[in-house]
Amino acid sequence: MGILEMKHISKAFSGVYANEDISLSVEKGEIHALLGENGAGKTTLMNILFGIYSADEGEIFWKGEKVHFSSPKAAIESGIGMVHQHFSLVQKLSVLDNIILGMDTGFKALDRKQAREKILNLAGKYGLKVNPDALINHLSVGQQQRVEILKALYRDVDLLILDEPTGVLTPSETEHFFGVLRRLKEEGYAIIIITHRMSEIMSISDRVTILRDGKKIIDLVTAETNPSELSNYMIGRQLKSGFVMENKASDEETLCLKHVSIIKARQPEFLSDICLDIKKGEILGIAGVDGNGQKELAEAIAGVRKITEGTIWFEGKDITKTTVKQRFEMGISYVSDDRHADGLVLDMTLEDNVMLRDYDRQPYSKYSFLNEKLIREKAEKAIDEYKIKTSGTSKGDTVVRLMSGGNQQKVIIAREVSDSAKLVIASQPTRGLDIGATEFVRQVLMDHRNKGGSVLLISADLEEIVALSDRIAVMFGGRIMGVLDREHINMEKIGLMMGGITEEEIKE
Amino acid sequence: MSRKQSYLAVIWIALITVAAGTLLITLANASPIEAYQMFFRGIFGNITNFCEVFVKATPLILTGLGCAVAFKTGFFNIGAEGQFYMGAVAATSVALGLTGVPGPLRILLAMAAGFICGGLWALIAAVFKARFGISEIIVTIMLNYIAINFVGIAVRTFLMDPAGSVPQSARIGSEAAFKLLMPPTRLNMGFIIAIAAVILVWVLMEKTTAGYELKVVGSNRRGAKCMGISVMKNTILSAFLSGGLAGMAGVIEILGIQKKLLEGISSDCGYTAVLVALLASNHPIGVFFSAVGLAAMQVGANSMQRQMGVPSAIVNILVGMVVLLVLGKRIFQFKSKKKA
Repeated sequence: MGILEMKHISKAFSGVYANEDISLSVEKGEIHALLGENGAGKTTLMNILFGIYSADEGEIFWKGEKVHFSSPKAAIESGIGMVHQHFSLVQKLSVLDNIILGMDTGFKALDRKQAREKILNLAGKYGLKVNPDALINHLSVGQQQRVEILKALYRDVDLLILDEPTGVLTPSETEHFFGVLRRLKEEGYAIIIITHRMSEIMSISDRVTILRDGKKIIDLVTAETNPSELSNYMIGRQLKSGFVMENKASDEETLCLKHVSIIKARQPEFLSDICLDIKKGEILGIAGVDGNGQKELAEAIAGVRKITEGTIWFEGKDITKTTVKQRFEMGISYVSDDRHADGLVLDMTLEDNVMLRDYDRQPYSKYSFLNEKLIREKAEKAIDEYKIKTSGTSKGDTVVRLMSGGNQQKVIIAREVSDSAKLVIASQPTRGLDIGATEFVRQVLMDHRNKGGSVLLISADLEEIVALSDRIAVMFGGRIMGVLDREHINMEKIGLMMGGITEEEIKE
Repeated sequence: MSRKQSYLAVIWIALITVAAGTLLITLANASPIEAYQMFFRGIFGNITNFCEVFVKATPLILTGLGCAVAFKTGFFNIGAEGQFYMGAVAATSVALGLTGVPGPLRILLAMAAGFICGGLWALIAAVFKARFGISEIIVTIMLNYIAINFVGIAVRTFLMDPAGSVPQSARIGSEAAFKLLMPPTRLNMGFIIAIAAVILVWVLMEKTTAGYELKVVGSNRRGAKCMGISVMKNTILSAFLSGGLAGMAGVIEILGIQKKLLEGISSDCGYTAVLVALLASNHPIGVFFSAVGLAAMQVGANSMQRQMGVPSAIVNILVGMVVLLVLGKRIFQFKSKKKA
């Protein structure tokens, strides 16, 4: 009998099972991995445990007693802590204040001195080094994560749930983080880690539970399995291995950046002396941990963000001073990593969103009047061609907010990846998409390349970068650390560069 | 919210409003049934009263349209009141000043001046927002104070009737005033202009690229920027259009009803405009109906007050309640929630 037993948990959202008859058992002093693709039901299951959702069916036993947590507060009070993928920290408060935030002291005044002692004590014991007086917005993502873990430990939890904890960490930070987890495990904490990274599961976990399509597939003891077995259970079919590169990229340059920088006073450098070129019929992958200047790079090329130094050349023309619209007309299109904020107008219809780039161009409008018939036809063509699922009979009138992430992304792809686009900037184009949609998007980008278009592919998913790119550039701290050819890809090298070591330093 | 739930909510709102109205009338020591009779007789009793509804609705339609256009573009213009008065001052100045110009042309000039001045008045807030990041809500409210008191100064100084001693302008000659449509009712050309404005704004917002841009900017500024649609240009356009429509309401009040400038002629329609736009979900056609509805309630209440001494303020209370209930209409989902 484990410290936590979840039995036959089911949960449906509007008739669709997110969890179906899932059982999970976790022991004290165990690191239990929860593995599954996006949408397999991992997060739903943990949200049920943590009191965010309540299960339709099934029972939860915690320390041998049947429980039902009505809120995260109740779960925390019983000794379950969760670190979400997106941290819940108050940016302008200190580490100390963030940790004690929400703790009920009754009528007693806050005792920061005692709190500080307890925090330093915990931090020292588990190697979670952090300055209690630092403000959160001055900390790196890795340090913020330590604060989140301290926050849970401070509340004397016995079980720690970690949702995709390493996605935002550099390889060296991940190594350190695993050290912390091992120490916690030795102290008898139970840990559930949600992840889809095989190597991490193999190196850190004791047991693995694999979910697929809302169902539990199997429980495995990590020592008795291997990554390819895990992969098979998780995906249930073989992944396409790499893509066929029909022809080699030409030598003709599409885009060329010369010493491009974005520097603002009293702020860290967003981009620093970037020199890059993309050829016709080439996919240039930009690898790197999130937040190392990739977004700024994409926006600088698309024209959304002004650069402070350097020049940008497109097909032999200096486009440094041109607008977003002018660049799109020349053939630069942009698939942003933030679908909701940058790429779509959620409260408008699919038709309106497909037209965002073309509404003021003939034949879709004439004498500033919109041609509704042609717009409808264009939207319906996109729906057919990209197999966009719309709600019921509304088709092009479907409000984009009501569509799933994958279908929303297809709307953007349909709009941006056309024959007139000579360069597609694709930033995290498959983030948050299910396997089918992911493969679809990748295929579209590959087809675009094979037809002679250029693609700048920015992704934090190394697997994706490696599968698609002709060349790979690695970004760190707003700089390009090095560029590798497809033939000379070396994962260790990429990992080191992602951690801030330049190509030259590796050679030495 | 499903369609059925929406209808249900409307019924609930109507019931609660009638119940509250009944209670308030009873508190005023009057018979509710008689009061409601007077209320409806006031609206439908004779042609003059019925037309008065549309007379009162005219400035509400225009200022409401102005607010709706601005709200749709994410520009929270609470300054229709001030823009109304700037339009009124401009129209009065042109109508009284350019006596050499023939009547019909002077009317057109007065309308243009009123639209432009109202538009420019709103533009100040747009510039403050775009240039310094100051909330347009604060700026438009402040501009209201300035405009209202500017009228006060104008009617005591440069626009004051030289022949009189009351703070008001001279009377505008009938050649430069709007024609009445159905004398003796006060219904005039202004109502036709308001209807034309409803149609024009609807066409602009739904059928043209300019309206499409305005809606994109209003719905997602960041996305507009990423797609190369100018947020600045559209904010300024929407502010100008919005202020211009409110200014036009001022023009119509001067040329159609008052025939002279004096203080307090807006009857706060610039503020009621916000409610008109809210109730209409910023849809131009909806603006027409919500403006007429609110105007009808006003006319009915006035009759109630005249005939029975029931304070017409009751209607203002009820209007406030209706708006709150419409905004919070999700509370009427309570039944279906339990079933789900």
